[in-house]
Amino acid sequence: MLIEQLINGITLGSIYAIVALGFTLVFGVLGIINMAHGEIFMIGAFIGVVTTSVLGLPLWIAFIAAIGVTAALGYLLERIALRPLRGKQGVSHLAPLISTIGVSIILENLSHHLFGAGNQPFRNAFADIQFQIGSITVYLVQILIFVISIALMLTLSFWLSKTKAGKALRATAENLETASLLGVNTKRTITTTVIIASAMGGIAGILVGMAFNSVNPQMGLSMGLKGLAIIILGGMGNVKGAMAGGLLLGVAETGIVAYGDSGYRDAVAFITIIFILLLRPQGLFGKKTAEAGR
Amino acid sequence: MLGEILNPYYLQVAAFIMINIILAISIYITLSSGQLSLGSAGFMGIGAYTSALLTIHFELPIIVGILAGAVVAGIIGILIGIPALRLQGVYLAIATLGFGEVVRIIFVNWESVTRGSIGLSGIPHMGRELLRFFKDIGFDPDMIGLKNNQFIYLLVLLILVLINIILIWFFTRQNKSRIGRAFAAIKMDEKAAEAMGLNITYYKVLSFAQGAVLAGFAGALYAHVLAYISPADFAYHRAIEILIFSVFGGSEVILGAVFGATFLTLLPEALRFISEYRYMIYGAILVLMMAFRPQGIIDASVLNWFKKNLKSKRGTNHGTRINKNN
Amino acid sequence: MRRVIKKSYLVITALMLVLLAACGEGSGSGSADSKGSSDGPVSAKIGVISYLTGPGAAYGEAITNGFNLALEEVNEKGDVNIELVVEDSAGKQEQALTVSQKLMSDDEIVAILGPTLSTEMNVVAPEADINGISILGTSTTAAGIPQIGDYVFRNSIPESLAIPAALEKAVAAYDVKKVAILYGNDDLFTQSGFDTMKKVAEDMNLEIVTIETFQKGQSDYNAQLTKIKDLQPDLILASALYNEGAVIMGQARKMGIDTPFLGGNGFNSPKVIEIAGEAADGLIVATPWFAEKENSKVQAFVEKYKAKYGMAPDQFAAQAYDALYIYAEALKNAGEADRDAFRDSLAEIKGLEGILGEFSFDKDGDVIMDPTVLIIKDGKFQIFE
Repeated sequence: MLIEQLINGITLGSIYAIVALGFTLVFGVLGIINMAHGEIFMIGAFIGVVTTSVLGLPLWIAFIAAIGVTAALGYLLERIALRPLRGKQGVSHLAPLISTIGVSIILENLSHHLFGAGNQPFRNAFADIQFQIGSITVYLVQILIFVISIALMLTLSFWLSKTKAGKALRATAENLETASLLGVNTKRTITTTVIIASAMGGIAGILVGMAFNSVNPQMGLSMGLKGLAIIILGGMGNVKGAMAGGLLLGVAETGIVAYGDSGYRDAVAFITIIFILLLRPQGLFGKKTAEAGR
Repeated sequence: MLGEILNPYYLQVAAFIMINIILAISIYITLSSGQLSLGSAGFMGIGAYTSALLTIHFELPIIVGILAGAVVAGIIGILIGIPALRLQGVYLAIATLGFGEVVRIIFVNWESVTRGSIGLSGIPHMGRELLRFFKDIGFDPDMIGLKNNQFIYLLVLLILVLINIILIWFFTRQNKSRIGRAFAAIKMDEKAAEAMGLNITYYKVLSFAQGAVLAGFAGALYAHVLAYISPADFAYHRAIEILIFSVFGGSEVILGAVFGATFLTLLPEALRFISEYRYMIYGAILVLMMAFRPQGIIDASVLNWFKKNLKSKRGTNHGTRINKNN
Repeated sequence: MRRVIKKSYLVITALMLVLLAACGEGSGSGSADSKGSSDGPVSAKIGVISYLTGPGAAYGEAITNGFNLALEEVNEKGDVNIELVVEDSAGKQEQALTVSQKLMSDDEIVAILGPTLSTEMNVVAPEADINGISILGTSTTAAGIPQIGDYVFRNSIPESLAIPAALEKAVAAYDVKKVAILYGNDDLFTQSGFDTMKKVAEDMNLEIVTIETFQKGQSDYNAQLTKIKDLQPDLILASALYNEGAVIMGQARKMGIDTPFLGGNGFNSPKVIEIAGEAADGLIVATPWFAEKENSKVQAFVEKYKAKYGMAPDQFAAQAYDALYIYAEALKNAGEADRDAFRDSLAEIKGLEGILGEFSFDKDGDVIMDPTVLIIKDGKFQIFE
């Protein structure tokens, strides 16, 4: 049972990690916590359901559709909810947080109206491919999720540290004005970042649909809050921290169900938020800076 | 005559408006020192459960229960507030969000005390208890031509209005006092305020705790007006709803909170078809307000304009003009 | 600054005035002439509180459809002439309470049907009781509801009736010794179902190997199910709404758990088969409603409902349909549109034949009825023998 539960935990943790990567990317560049990220993830999952189960199209089209739609949502999010606030006089640093909460509420209720409150099944033959190793069953989807999450993390790290666009992005994160003086198209950089982050949410959405065969409008909120806990655990804006934090939370949640009281499963994430923020605001993997706690 | 005018439906709606105003003020007070708390639903729940449990199990009078609810919420507010002060802005918002959810999860799981999701029913109802009291001393609502439920909700509403008037008076005074100015200074620039010699820790905890006390107080009132509470009443969405009251109405002046809570409580009642899209509208409000009017509908300049107009047209019919703005 | 305070009074006062003025218009029209005369049919207005907007609107819709279908037939018959006044509660306690006030303060309204959720009922029922107006829940299955007061009734079978019936049959059929319980702990409905399951299982001396919970919005049940699989129970008791329940069954079957599931009222829906597909096989539920029953009344109802609303009726529609018949019977027996006379004749209802079966109230106003136990086999609900 231990190994099976560990596989469950790693699968869940990998999905958490992909969600958290999107969070941490936006935070790293914009210093904004995108509260709508969970809902974008949920929309991605629904797009997956609609393309595969309703329209009966193959899985790879579902991936493309979900990435496309969530990327578009990311663009809209940046244009409508974030850009108008940027550089405006007298706007408090809380404004983007509140504004993205607004977007998250709109998206959650929109999907209520479009898809209904219930669970939508995500039927796909691919999700049923399995291997038998001894007494343990491993699904291909579980391996795929783990591989995708690692791949995304590595690509992102590489992109940020080695490519020109990544460097522009980090420069923007460091200081918006200086970067723009140095010839970085900050507007485009920021938009790109939000779009990439949202598309990653879309990927996570499809993966959840495949792994758990269940998609519903409420999953965005719960996943969003978990993602938030993870970036706090792993350190805000820290890509490797998001990955490690995600796996840690996934395994911890599974562990508390397996060996403790499943009623407190969700509390793990929130208690983590509180303790990390109070004791080590820079996160487990973050570097200590003067600004971290402030 | 009185009996025909007083429809319990409207009394009931008005009572919820009053409770929502208190909640909106609780957010306003924390915001006035530049802190955003998303834990108000948690504090509200603490107040509600404290008061409900005390009145059910120990048969304390409702007023003692409500005050205890507010006090317990305040104490927890201080306990959370002191360490949380190291956090600023979004970090505080997230820590309080986590706090609110933990509180709800505790309510769900601590079944021996809270009865879990079943919720607490049979909480003494403020109005019904008062009715009993009045009947005991030989007063029957029939004597002034009122039905029982009219009388009950009239009493509840009167009490709530009175509480609101006192609270608004108190916080308007506080705003003009040393404390209010300190809050404003911290909101403007924390470091500068510190450099000026303000004890920012004290003031920040004070404003955070005041918000917690008010939320707990409103929660306790809520428990005794509904007579039934369950953990789902104090979830994340409630915290957001409370935040919207203040953000929409105006987070810079206390009347903004009053206006926001009143307007947004009346809106779905007045326009039933809106009810279905209520949350979508809430979401749109948040986005639009942040983009175009981050200070909310009512701010100091709107108030000044009113002040001028009221002065110049004193003696005309006040009621209609104010209605127009609601 | 004084002025600021003054203004706040003004705002509040003005609001009050608007409200009072508005309600003056509303309640002024109440008069006595609506009461049926002694020889014609008894006419009366009945208030309905239903969950018509929001995430659970589908429940409210089925319920109001059931009412409306029965209403046509009842009024056609001519013994009574009922008019329904429908209000939306949006599934929220506050709103349910406010609309119930609206209905109760209308003197023409004799009794209330609804609200949809047990949480709403917990708030509305004490208010109805104190105002002396009968209220009957058609979908409120949580424990303790009719016990709130003399004026509070229901015709939906509570879990305390459904679960023992289903469990007894399942124990006999599968020789069950060990059970695992899985339930949603952040929902009144599923929590209440769990309390009953646990009690019934203990009373039947079954060994409960584990109790697991899940929460709303969760999509991964693998951790709980892996644990359950390891403990090898003979039966899994799942107190879940069909939405989560179907997903749980899907994940369980995928994991290789082929143990039968036993669910409460909330698990009983054709939607389970729709969502879980083959994985739904082996779900046992007890229900008052079975659409395939060989009974002319039932079949006539199913046909009419399909013709009118374009979908098959579920348990909620059926219970609502019967509820209106119960009210019509009570009104006929009362002979006048009076709230107290109505209550007394309602409490007397016995052996009324409806589409759910023979119906009576017990002394508290709760249901006396024999539920049917069903199992999903080959993708269909069938009678469980």
